[in-house]
Amino acid sequence: MAEVTSNAIRAAASPRRGAGRRFARWLASERVFPLIPFVVVEALFVLTILIPFALTIWISLLRWRANRPFETATFAGLDNYQGVLASDQFWLALARTFYFSGVAVALELVIGFLLAMLVSRCTRSRKLYTTIFLVPMMIVPIVVGYNFSMIYIDSGPLNQLLAPLLGMFGIDPRIRWLSHPVAAQWAIILADVWQWTSLTFLIFLSGFAALPRQLINAARVMGASAWQTFWRVELPLLKPAIVIAVIIRSMEALKLFDPVVLLTFGGPGTSTQTVAYFLWEQVWVFNKFSYGAAASIILLFIFSFLIFFGIYMLISQRRAVEGGAQ
Amino acid sequence: MTTAADVAGEAARSRRRRRERLGKIGRHAILLAWTAFIAFPIFWMVSTSFKDAGEWVAWPPHWLPHEPTLHNYAQIFAFGALDPTLSRQATEQAFTIWKGLGDALLVCTAASLLGLLLGTFLAYAISRFNVGGKYFRHTILMIRMIPPIVVAISILIYYAIIIPYATSALFGVRISLFDTYVGLILIYTVTTLPFVIWMMLTFIDEVPYTLEHAARLMGAGRLQVLRRVVLPLVASGMVVTFLFVFILNWAEFLLALTLTHPEVTTLTVLLNKFQSAAEGRLYGPQAAIGTVVTVPVVIMGLLIQKHLVKGFSFGTIRK
Repeated sequence: MAEVTSNAIRAAASPRRGAGRRFARWLASERVFPLIPFVVVEALFVLTILIPFALTIWISLLRWRANRPFETATFAGLDNYQGVLASDQFWLALARTFYFSGVAVALELVIGFLLAMLVSRCTRSRKLYTTIFLVPMMIVPIVVGYNFSMIYIDSGPLNQLLAPLLGMFGIDPRIRWLSHPVAAQWAIILADVWQWTSLTFLIFLSGFAALPRQLINAARVMGASAWQTFWRVELPLLKPAIVIAVIIRSMEALKLFDPVVLLTFGGPGTSTQTVAYFLWEQVWVFNKFSYGAAASIILLFIFSFLIFFGIYMLISQRRAVEGGAQ
Repeated sequence: MTTAADVAGEAARSRRRRRERLGKIGRHAILLAWTAFIAFPIFWMVSTSFKDAGEWVAWPPHWLPHEPTLHNYAQIFAFGALDPTLSRQATEQAFTIWKGLGDALLVCTAASLLGLLLGTFLAYAISRFNVGGKYFRHTILMIRMIPPIVVAISILIYYAIIIPYATSALFGVRISLFDTYVGLILIYTVTTLPFVIWMMLTFIDEVPYTLEHAARLMGAGRLQVLRRVVLPLVASGMVVTFLFVFILNWAEFLLALTLTHPEVTTLTVLLNKFQSAAEGRLYGPQAAIGTVVTVPVVIMGLLIQKHLVKGFSFGTIRK
């Protein structure tokens, strides 16, 4: 009571301070307080993603190259979009991106699953293996690209290991792997597998760790063979982990860029150009800003289906995982 | 007395034991093979970083440097003018790592701290007040799933053309965010915010609400509750999140390559510069930089090992 009166007196004595206090109380109210961080973050998103994106749409409708002043740009309608859609290079780059990520993700899933299964059977050495297998994930992708570029060079260790084999056929062992289209593609896939199998391995390892022991033991007691237990009991229980690994890795693999720059610059020819590299080259090397803008809008349109599908699957799988754990 | 059944049982048991031992050997053989596969590129980088120029591309390649040298490290860590015997190539200034190291540390620390601050606050609001609706947690993932190249081109146009154009038209001053620390920090903060929010959500969700309620009843203000009750309880989570986001920013390449050119140079961009060096590839210094870039993040990563999968999979995996 005394406090209330003293508050009232203070408020009466200095109206400005009272207003400040009222404002502070308004900010701390149930309705407003949680909105403060929300508004700040949303404003940041609008400023750095939404506005640039809207501007990109506008730029994509202009005829303009970055090496000329912006005032010289003229309205071009949908010309840029037509140009991108008619360009074989764009579609080939997109197809190649899907091809790379398809092969790489499949390999990562199979190897990661196998490794997780083997490691989960270990008792004493499990921790050691897990620590080692985790390391590639932490290495900066560009350093991975560099490492592999070092291994593939004509006088690199890969050729040395292959030398006895190649010598039998009388081939000079100093092969320039990255100058051969197919070998260069596999070089990029291998670098990706090297780095990201660690993630699928970890996802599957936690999946294996969460398997209910009793259920498996029960199956064994009832006379199921190891093979049957694996196919009929363990694999269905691991399905959420598999789905999550597929989605997360595919979304990331479609962004493939760093190893391409480090290993091949999209070459030889355009045989390792991913769609990310294609866009980067259009804008940075050829200065075709409005063309690049149109291509990135088209790309986002294509990927947005995948993104929505991915998020939908993640939400439903997460529910399944949580429901199962309760 | 041993019956036939006993003998058969003994045989079956020994057969099973032998099969188990074989399985164990096979298992370790596969796991060790994968270990070797993982270790080899790292080994090769570290080994190359101690090789002198003549050994970089020797045939047959030298697995271990025949004459180990700290030359490459001396080159990248050199201050000021280089000893002419050290620099065999023309682009001396591109050798030193200091600029890249300083810029990377500045940009990554600032962006990670800013992201941590905003993300933690928002995660708290989401966890306690359900701000943004039920699916806000998931829609925020979309930011992460958009291919960065799509964002990069729009941001490049925005930073390098639109902002200078608009500011010179409106205020008469040409302000460009292209190739500035502020520009890069801002975009790093935004791209890693989803991770901060997701990781902090899992930590904050675990703090019992009753604690805060009690503090509120005892007369603590909202900010006081946050500072005195919630933050101390999630402090370790904040450290983990900071390290995780720092690793992500440290490894980022595409945005840095697109949004900066001569001025701001992060380590990843610096490493790439050697690749396109006109005098041919400088394998040694590159390997040295690679080693310097790798060591701190691997240590950080091993520190937060348990939480890594949470971050990379957006908490969809329960550990």
